[in-house]
Amino acid sequence: MDAELVQMAEVAEACSRCRCGCCKDQCPMYSELLEESISPKGRNALIRSVLKGAVEPNERAVRIAYSCLLCRRDEQSCVAGLRNSDATEAFRRYLIEKGAKLLPEHAALAKSLDNYGNPWQESRAARKRWAKGLQNKKVVPGKTSTLFYVGCTFALDRTLDDGPKALASLMDKAGVDYGLLLDDEVCCGSTAKRIGDIKLFEKLRRENEKRIRGTGVENIVTACAGCFKTLEQDYPDLSEDISIMHSTQFISELIANDKLHFPKREVKVTYHDPCHLGRHSDVYDAPRRVLLSVPGLELVEMKNSRQTARCCGGGAGVKTAYPEISQKAAVKRIREAEETGAEILITTCPFCVQTLRGAASAVDSKIKVQELSVFLDSLSHERGGGHR
Amino acid sequence: MMETEVRDQMMHRLIKVLGRTRVLSSRPDLVPYTKDTYRIRYDEDYKYFPDAVVFPETTAEVAGIVEIAAELKVPLIPKGGGSNRTGMLVPVTGGIVVDTVRMNRIVEVSVPNLYVTVQPGITLKDLEDGLAKHGLALNQEQGSFKIATIGGSISTSGFSRKHQKYGTIADRVMSLEVVLASGKVMRTGPKILYTSTGYRLQQLFVGAEGTLGIITEATLRVEPIPEAKDAILAFYHDFWSANEAALRTMSSCVTFTGGEAYEVEDATSLGAPQGRNGLFYLGFEGTKGEVHAQVEFVRKIVHETGGVLAKHDDAAKFMEKYTSQWCGARALTGFEDALTTYVPVEHMREFFEKLWGEVMPKHGSAPLPGEKYSLDVGRYRIMAGRFYLPKGEGAWEKYQVLLRDIAKLTTRLGGSISSCHGVGIEHKDNLDLEYSEVALDVMRDLKKALDPDNIMNPGKMLPDKK
Repeated sequence: MDAELVQMAEVAEACSRCRCGCCKDQCPMYSELLEESISPKGRNALIRSVLKGAVEPNERAVRIAYSCLLCRRDEQSCVAGLRNSDATEAFRRYLIEKGAKLLPEHAALAKSLDNYGNPWQESRAARKRWAKGLQNKKVVPGKTSTLFYVGCTFALDRTLDDGPKALASLMDKAGVDYGLLLDDEVCCGSTAKRIGDIKLFEKLRRENEKRIRGTGVENIVTACAGCFKTLEQDYPDLSEDISIMHSTQFISELIANDKLHFPKREVKVTYHDPCHLGRHSDVYDAPRRVLLSVPGLELVEMKNSRQTARCCGGGAGVKTAYPEISQKAAVKRIREAEETGAEILITTCPFCVQTLRGAASAVDSKIKVQELSVFLDSLSHERGGGHR
Repeated sequence: MMETEVRDQMMHRLIKVLGRTRVLSSRPDLVPYTKDTYRIRYDEDYKYFPDAVVFPETTAEVAGIVEIAAELKVPLIPKGGGSNRTGMLVPVTGGIVVDTVRMNRIVEVSVPNLYVTVQPGITLKDLEDGLAKHGLALNQEQGSFKIATIGGSISTSGFSRKHQKYGTIADRVMSLEVVLASGKVMRTGPKILYTSTGYRLQQLFVGAEGTLGIITEATLRVEPIPEAKDAILAFYHDFWSANEAALRTMSSCVTFTGGEAYEVEDATSLGAPQGRNGLFYLGFEGTKGEVHAQVEFVRKIVHETGGVLAKHDDAAKFMEKYTSQWCGARALTGFEDALTTYVPVEHMREFFEKLWGEVMPKHGSAPLPGEKYSLDVGRYRIMAGRFYLPKGEGAWEKYQVLLRDIAKLTTRLGGSISSCHGVGIEHKDNLDLEYSEVALDVMRDLKKALDPDNIMNPGKMLPDKK
């Protein structure tokens, strides 16, 4: 067994010495289904029983393995700090390597990733659709220092493509010399990794890393929390050679260096920490610094924020495999946001925007869900200016 | 092993009552229901699987499940949060785990009469959150607060860290609705706190570990949320000097919610001066004036007993952190067990000296670092500690003899084997040390009267007649 699988077995073994179930408190999946098997403790018990040969890794075991959002909320409640999320992700991989089939709901995603380099069954050429008017921004190898890595969902979901447009606009305003891969960009592999298809992930990673390295850039900026985590943590050497930043960190630096500032806007907002940016990458302050740099803006935290933020319900293939539960989790987050009295719920991950927006619409919530760059860019448009 | 024909019939009928999605029977689903947090015999790791797990939502559904079980003579294991430590949820004879966690509604809050009626599967935490909206509190603050359910707490006779002011779960139960082994639904009595009529049937189900019936509704005493809260934390040279403060407090007239005296390995992270690893903390709740006076009173005791008071913020932080942890990171400690013995306080020193000086070494066991001494301060004087399980050849048998020897020591001093975690499988065969054969026979007779076919959580709590 390699290191990931050894760690998976250790987590399952350690959990079996305790079995306290503290992880169930606030687990978005368990709190909806209330079945022990659909909890970190239950999955750890399943992993151990499969490794010990006491339970067959049958179709039901596979479905249980995919019942986790990998949100790591449970790990905040685990006194021993067990990495349950990593164990579950490794277990998915283990099952596939042992011959289990991907869930049918995930098979289409994987096929699309393999064929088109994105999970949304869109052509490779469609990736540059959002960037009309920005064709001159194609990265120039050896010349461009900062690559704006857009990611599949921002680039291909027509309801979200105002995100990359806004970030590009902000970078223009701040005078950043950045470049885009446009239709040469390939999926970072996050989806493949999270659903345990490691062969597919490795294929995407190799292709993507080759293209990124081919540009010779020194910095990568991405607005997608999933891409950020994947590029930074799942590409073994990339972050050693290239600085990888999430857009919130990058914008925060631009503000600190007096390259960006925003007009006054009296508005009450709340901020949702995406799991991949918060608990997975420990980035909590940068987005808040950015928001608080807007004069007149009031930031009100939700009951659960930062390390204890509730997951939006959209992660790790759960939205595809368990859509009803995903939406229930998202509605709970919307309700928490509503309780703050905020006008806008701001977040920084395309999946969170997509999922929370869907939930807000389903329950006719008045709260507006907006991506951070979009919100910031709109400020400049409202009053003009916004840069020096 | 259940016969296939019986099993098929059982499954068919359970699905008819609950629908397919609320009946689990695949092994991957059943794995987490094979154990609670009890240290099951090492070679029986995956021996006991239930035949099904069911999720009723109403009393009528529970009655329907019990009727099926009664007719087919299938064991039933009622379950709450699943955090029990003595094996009362292990399906030693297979059967149906009745998971009550979906029966999680608050049925009625009576502000004028200070009670709440709930379904049994609501967690203590969710109930406290729900009551807070009415300005009320249950105050059942047991370690497993976030995941333990009301039904589980009643069935295990759950302790509460606020025992001194508000009592434990046993003191809160006013009335219960219980589905008996026959499938009949019994209301134990009116929803009132005190009566001088009839047997107190509701108390029969406190600590019964699901062996007499399945609780489907509980009416519990609640209190108004206090105007003020405060805490005191003080550092002493060791447990015994902290205990001086505990004894002084207990023999005084001061009111407090609860507290502890214990000794850790290193208390400096809590703000203690070097070498002061004996801890003494108390919580206070009431009106502002009361709490202020109580705190001042105890500060004086701390001063007179040579304690060093922690900064106010450190005490508050400690209370918040301490009460949010309960499992003691068992995942990291290796195989251990916890004592929750109750020994008359005048015998405490003898108890701990013999426990760690004679009983534990005899069986190759020892305390976990910083887990040797602990005393719940107040009327409920639980003496706790944690110890490593014996290792090597015959480890399980050595562990059982060790438990027997602890039970002998505890009961010889006039105490109870388990004041917090129940009996389950772990302490079942040592109950004869705590109760006379006459008392045990009465318990057996009660069990037989209520559950003649022994379908309610069989193999737990009551020792077989010798």
